[in-house]
Parts: sequence; C-alpha cells; structure tokens
Amino acid sequence: MNFEELCAMEAAYDRDEIVDLRSLDYVSSYDDHLMCPICHCPFIRPVRLQCDHVFCQKCLNSAITSCAGGRDEFTCPSCRSPTRDLYLHVPRLLINMCDDIRVKCPFSAEGCTEIIPRGHVQSHVEKYCGYRLVHCPSLVCDKKTRKKDLNADKRCMHELHQCSRCEEEVMEQDYEEHVQELCPSLKTTCPDCHTTVFRKALREHIETCPEAIHCCAASKYGCPVKVKRAELSTHEKSCPLITMGPYFEAQNSRLDSMELTVRHLQQRNELFEDGLAGIRSTLLESTRAMTGRTVTDPGPSNPPDDSSQADSANAASSNATTYLLSLHESLREEVGQLSHAVTDLDARASMAIMNECLRIKEDMAHTNAAVGSIRMQVQWLMNPRLHQQPQRAGMRNGNGNSESAAAGSSSAGPSGPSPGLLRPRRLSDGGREGTKL
Amino acid sequence: MFATKRLSKELLKMQDHVPPGISIVKSDNLEEWHMDIQVLDSNPLYQNQIYRLKFTFNSKYPIEPPEVQFIELPSTSETPRPIPIHPHIYSNGIICLDLLSSAGWSPVQTVESVCMSIQSMLTANSRNERPPGDSDFVSYNRRRPRDINFYYDDDDV
Repeated sequence: MNFEELCAMEAAYDRDEIVDLRSLDYVSSYDDHLMCPICHCPFIRPVRLQCDHVFCQKCLNSAITSCAGGRDEFTCPSCRSPTRDLYLHVPRLLINMCDDIRVKCPFSAEGCTEIIPRGHVQSHVEKYCGYRLVHCPSLVCDKKTRKKDLNADKRCMHELHQCSRCEEEVMEQDYEEHVQELCPSLKTTCPDCHTTVFRKALREHIETCPEAIHCCAASKYGCPVKVKRAELSTHEKSCPLITMGPYFEAQNSRLDSMELTVRHLQQRNELFEDGLAGIRSTLLESTRAMTGRTVTDPGPSNPPDDSSQADSANAASSNATTYLLSLHESLREEVGQLSHAVTDLDARASMAIMNECLRIKEDMAHTNAAVGSIRMQVQWLMNPRLHQQPQRAGMRNGNGNSESAAAGSSSAGPSGPSPGLLRPRRLSDGGREGTKL
Repeated sequence: MFATKRLSKELLKMQDHVPPGISIVKSDNLEEWHMDIQVLDSNPLYQNQIYRLKFTFNSKYPIEPPEVQFIELPSTSETPRPIPIHPHIYSNGIICLDLLSSAGWSPVQTVESVCMSIQSMLTANSRNERPPGDSDFVSYNRRRPRDINFYYDDDDV
C-alpha cells in the first residue's frame, strides 16, 4: 500500500468515528512500547513501515503530509530510513494489547462511572452509555440531553417548570431530583436533636442546636472532652486547661516571634558566609598569582609560554596546552613533509646513478670492441715482423748472443741495448695511441 | 489539541523522571516551557554551569518542531544563566542545530530528547568560540529562529 491510499483511508475513518481515542482518560498505565512515538498514546489503528517501525495511522498521515520533501522523500520518523510502502498488517498481539488498556468512559464528566477496555469504548458509547449527550428530540430546542433522560414519547425535557413549594424554576429533566432531594423548602430532621426543620434552615439550626456535640474550647491544648452544647459552659468553668489558655497563647506568640528572628539571623548568616567565601577565593587567587610571579622571576631565560602557564589559572593552562598541542601538530606535519622530500631525492639520485652507470658500461663496451679490433690489426701488422725476426735471430746467432733473442720475443726487457729490441716497443706504443683515439 | 495532549503526556512523564542534568523550570502553560540543562562530564568549557533553554510550541507540535533557544539571565540575578559558548550557538541564544529545523525534525523527538541532544552537543565541543559572523548576526537578526535558513555544514559536532 502506498501513501496516497493511506490518506484516502484516513479521511474515510475520520468521518465515522464518534470517540476520539486520544483524548480518553487512560486509567491503567501502559508500557512505553505500546505507545505511538508521535502522539504518545497507545497505538490507534497501527500501521507498519518497511523498517518495522509502527505508528498510528493518523499520526503517520500527518507526518507524511507535513514532510518538507513531499511523499517521495518521506523517511521513517524513528530511524530516518527512506520508505515508500507501508503495511496495514501488524501483529494481532499488538492490537489486542492496545485495545485491552482500561479507560474511563468519555462521558465520565456527565456521571458515567464505567471503566472499560479501550477496544469496547466505541460500542459502549454507541449502545450502552446512558450519559452520552444526544440532541434534544424537539426540533426547536438546541440543548443536549443525556441518553437515559430521553423519555419514550420523545418530548423536549428542557422546558422550565416552577417548583410548587420553593418557586424556583427547574428544567423538566431535573424536576424529579429537585422535588425529592434538592428543594430547599423540604423538611428534614436535625441529626442531633431530631427536630424537624426546613432544609434551607438546617445550617443555622446546627450552629445553635443545644444537642449538637461540641469540643471543649481548650481542645487545641489537649482537653479531650466532647459534650453537648448545653453542657459545654459547665465544663468550661471547671476545665483546668481553659484557665491555662491565656498563658499558652502568650507562649505561642513568643515562640513565633523567636522563630521569625532565628530565620532572619539564618539569612544574614548565609549572606556573611557567601561574602567570606568570595573573600577567600579572591585571596587564593591573589596568592596564586604572587607565587606564579616568584616562580617566573628567577628564570627570565625561560621560554615565554612557560611563564604564561605559571601565571594564569586553569583557563590559561588549558590554552597553553592547546597551543602546545597545535605546535606539536604543525611540527609533526613538517617532519612528514621533510621525510617525503628525502625519499623523493633518494629515488631521483639512484635513478641518475643508474643512468650514468648504463652510459659508462656502454662506453666501456665500445672501448673494448675498439681495443679488440686494434689488437687484431697489431697482430696482423706484427705477423710479418715476427716472421722476419727468426731470420735476423738466425743471423745474430752467428754472433753467439742468445740473450737478446729471448728478450726480443718477450718485448718487455728494457735492459738490452740491441736495435732489435726497440722496434716492437715502438709498435706497442703506436697501438696505445690508437686506443686513445 | 494534538499538541496539548502530547505535551501533557510528556510533562507527566518528565515529572515522574527526568534524565540527569535536565530539569523543568517552567511548564505551567502548554505553549512555552523553560528547561535548565547542565553538562555532566568535566568539559572545562561548561563545567559547573547551568543554562536555560526556552521551548516555544505551536499547535502543530510534534509534527512541526518547537522553537528552541537559550535565554540569558544576568549574572546579578539569583539564578544566573549565561549563554554557552559554542561554535553553533549565537550569543543571542539562537542555536544552529539541524534537529531543530523543519527538515531535520522528526515527530518522534520529545522535549527530553531535544535537551539531551543539546547536552551532548555541548559535551562534544572543545572549541571556545562563537560561530563565524556572530556579532553581525546578533545585531542584524530580527527574525525568529524558525524563519532562519541555516546551512548545516559541520557534521562533526
């Protein structure tokens, strides 16, 4: 069911309801869980939302119509979860418990003393309650009359009749009661002396009736005697408490005046105490300020917030704490930023180093290749010389110098002054120049 | 009619029991109530202070929210009641709380729950300041709290 249908239904219900269940006088106490959170009455025609929260149909209806966002944006008043559908089906148990709560008949002001379960109020009022006000059957009369006072022939009961004895004008519906009980011209008997008097004179009679029982005038001081008025004067003559009466009166008035002064004094005392407390607190503050100053005086090199902390009372100290806290916070932030920067730099440096390394490696590979090719060339150039050398060595062998041949083949020894040694060295020098290029 | 019934029920319940730190000062008619509230924990901003709230109900309560604001009694009076310092409470007592706007209000709220919300709003605060633009607002505002459109931008208080 959606909200439009609910509104339509609510309007239909409103028309045919006689008793407003919310204005009933609930006699028995009821559990908070049975109470609609909007009207705080036990649920009246409960409905349930998607989120399982229950409200009176009428309350929910007024909550929906007043919802700022309209029906589409209505949220559950209890949990604010958006809801579009509602269910008329709530547990029978809940309805039964709400209907079982005892209430007074709505016409209790008219005299109905019934106390009934709430579920029966409608039928009670409709069918059984004799105190329900109905329109007077006469068309010209606009007064209302109690249902039980309606007579069979449906006459108007509001015509005024004059009482035959007291000449008062009484409405017909009250006439019987007036005549039998209320009319002041009726005779009645005094409960004490049993003489018959008029009802309107009864009060005066009781005040003077000699038979009426009266207390002794000293009863407030403890005289227990209760006698008839006729005998009262004889008792009062002999009553010891009556003679004490004036003395008691004087004592009472003195006590009263004493109490008054005591109260005055108490008030003044309170005032003084307040003043004293004020003085004490100002003294305390001033001493605290003094000690604060002596603490800060010897150490002028202290940081400024230290001295301010010592100076002021709790409020300032809390201020200083918050200041320190904020300082701490900002420092922490700075440190965080710095660490960030450091890691960034680190990463960048390592990247640069790696790039450089790669370049150098490449260079070295090139150089290696060049060296290799030059070695090949040198080898190629050396080859014919190496072939020539054994021939020359063969020639020198004739001279018997074998040492120079060994040195020539190794090309390392600087010792030999022989011309055969110089050539390979120059060649190797040339090779070195080639690598430099 | 609806409002008076609901309010008398609330009153009955609160006369029976009120949460700690909340007391009814004046509820003799069903249009304007005065409540005293107190922050119970040791928040140094509000410790040992009592504040007075004024609730004004219209006939559509609880469907419509009540008007709630702090009122000030001078410190020379027998019961001094200052306006608490809070970034959402203007120095003329007007409270910026979305619960009290017609958009944030829910008919489920009661006087008691509103008091408790304001209590906890004070408890949770640690900033010793008035809302921005307080002096301007206080000197120019002639509107009633319900006619003011607040922007509820701060969700953490």
